Amino acid sequence: MIMICPGCSCLCDDVYIKEGKVFNACRRGKEIFAKYNENRAVARVDGREVDVDTAIEKAVEILKEAKNPAIYGLDTTVVEAQKIAIDVAEKLNGYIDDNSSFCLGELVEAVLKGEMPTTTLDEVRDNAYVLVYWGTNPYHSLSRHLSKYTYYPRGKKRPRGYDEDRFLVVVDVRRSETAVLAKKNARFIRVDDDAELVDSFVKVVEGKAAKYAKDAGVIINEMKRADFNVIFGGLGLKYGLKDLNQFKEMVKKLNEVAPVYFIPAGFHGNMRGFNETLFERVGHVNKYSFRDGKSDEEFAFTELLKNEKIDAALIVGTDPVYSLPFEVSSKLGKINTIVVDPRMSFTARIADVVIPSAISGVEAGGTMVRSDGVRVKLEPLEEKEVNDVYILNKIKEGL
Amino acid sequence: MALNPMDIYKLLPKTNCKKCGEATCMSFAFKLLNREKKLEDCKPLYEDKKYERQRKKLEEMLKPLEEATETGLIVDESLCTGCGNCVVVCPVHVEKDPKGAAVGNGPTIDDPILRVEDGVVKVINMQACRRYGKNRVLCVVCRENCPSDAIRFLEG
Amino acid sequence: MRFSKFLKVEADIVVARHALVMDETKSKAEPVIFLHPEFAKRSGVNDGDVVEVEANGRIVKLKVKLSDKAPESGGVIPNGIYASYLTNFDGFKRFKANIEVSEGELTSVEELLGKIKS
Ligand code: SF4
Ligand code: SF4
Ligand code: SF4
Ligand code: SF4
Repeated sequence: MIMICPGCSCLCDDVYIKEGKVFNACRRGKEIFAKYNENRAVARVDGREVDVDTAIEKAVEILKEAKNPAIYGLDTTVVEAQKIAIDVAEKLNGYIDDNSSFCLGELVEAVLKGEMPTTTLDEVRDNAYVLVYWGTNPYHSLSRHLSKYTYYPRGKKRPRGYDEDRFLVVVDVRRSETAVLAKKNARFIRVDDDAELVDSFVKVVEGKAAKYAKDAGVIINEMKRADFNVIFGGLGLKYGLKDLNQFKEMVKKLNEVAPVYFIPAGFHGNMRGFNETLFERVGHVNKYSFRDGKSDEEFAFTELLKNEKIDAALIVGTDPVYSLPFEVSSKLGKINTIVVDPRMSFTARIADVVIPSAISGVEAGGTMVRSDGVRVKLEPLEEKEVNDVYILNKIKEGL
Repeated sequence: MALNPMDIYKLLPKTNCKKCGEATCMSFAFKLLNREKKLEDCKPLYEDKKYERQRKKLEEMLKPLEEATETGLIVDESLCTGCGNCVVVCPVHVEKDPKGAAVGNGPTIDDPILRVEDGVVKVINMQACRRYGKNRVLCVVCRENCPSDAIRFLEG
Repeated sequence: MRFSKFLKVEADIVVARHALVMDETKSKAEPVIFLHPEFAKRSGVNDGDVVEVEANGRIVKLKVKLSDKAPESGGVIPNGIYASYLTNFDGFKRFKANIEVSEGELTSVEELLGKIKS
């Protein structure tokens, strides 16, 4: 049976399992399927093992009593569960946020608002000539990005190999694994300050001198040779630039001389799904407060925690203790935490309530959204009754 | 006898003239060993009479390389992330599997040379590799596109 | 006991995903830092050493592996609880740290969880 891999936002659609082996998935994808039964979460309240219903009841109680509750995570669950989570946040008149507020949310928002022209990975495979990877090392984060969608596959209008029909550009602060691939018909640009390179692209289009004029000039000339070019922006771009508007301006400027699209490089399996789901509901992609009726920096989960603005958190499918800076994660120990996760995550180990769930894509079906916005339907191997949709629905009803 | 680049280097002109497209004779020696360059690429060796003896020796020395019957492809699984680059670039796959590996998917043919299984690449069908058999060519495409040097060839 | 002959050196740290150091089951984390071979050489650090990495007043002990994909002026710490423990929000993906050869046990996950919980 052909499966969709939920391992990252590539959502590869050619994975299958035969005679106990996982085929075609990269190492990360394989781990999800092959180790689906390891380190599973068990229902807990205050460190005591309980049954699932008791844990859910306790979660409802905590949320009801909370003055300032927040819901956080949701990037590895399906759109159907994300919708219910938003309902819960609305009912609580609380905050809702996901990892994208410190990841690529801003870039996704710009795309959803039409501030940068975008396209799909399938179009990229068939048409794209210049491929720019900016501040991302897909080799480790989105392992099959280059082989499945961008640099290596033959496409309708790109039937010859990568060394003739594509031009690869890698921008990074170090010579990453992806940068190593930039050999023939390619360019690696080592930057210290991404803003200088952004500025150089703009200046070169305007015919002015700039720090990276030579590199930018070569790349712009290559872009002019094609009717389809694309930039993939990653976390390095987001953190390398203080002001993303500069980058948006640059993309606009480049489009004066050649067609250049933008696609966020990628992230957790369904981060873009969360952004789109929330955007449809409230017009913002993340860090939203139902009480204030708006999205703001101060409503980012990390800020709320750091500034001690919340007293309870419902954390779904993400592991802040693992991934957030200490100054933030250390505050989790001081509030009431409810974790909904298939795994006994680091956060689950310190949480007040743990509700074990199903692994999306393996034990639960639903919709996820690829990094380029394409919606993909996941079919589980086996359907588990207690999944994120079930749990979040129960919580919603209980409130 | 195992070949090593130093022995080859000693017999090259050592002028670093760059006519072979390499910056130094030493790097040319490495490329020779990896079969990425041919001895003929070093023009001075053939054009200048004074190198004739050295050239003959080199030709002798490099013979086993041409005759290797194995493809000699080795995968270090501990370095492989299963990115699939090697599977998709392999020219044999591109030709035989136009709807699978050629367009970026996992192979759809039964006997691909390489396939990602359990998250790492496995050599399935060595015989189909262009480095194998009578009409072999010195293909290095898969290795060239492995970002983590997980693929090596026996000779270097 | 400390190795007094080793000096503290400042390193540029990049935090990045690493597909060979990850655990999709969320059970373990590997206490590792990938140093650039040149940087390691300059700093008198060897492959397999235990180093104390200090940033923002916090310290973890990590095992050194060498990687030429790391920044030349330092190393890569994979995304995860060790990098998270050291960083501050403004230096989330890149920060400066002091590195010193050390000995003894690597920092355990439990130790860090304990600090978060307390
Ligand atoms: S690249 Fe991402 S979606 Fe594709 S197999 Fe790997 S983890 Fe799964
Ligand atoms: S052309 Fe010959 S002499 Fe010149 S660098 Fe290459 S190998 Fe050396
Ligand atoms: S050496 Fe060439 S033919 Fe052989 S597996 Fe590698 S890419 Fe394919
Ligand atoms: S290119 Fe290298 S890392 Fe990628 S699948 Fe092939 S051997 Fe593994």
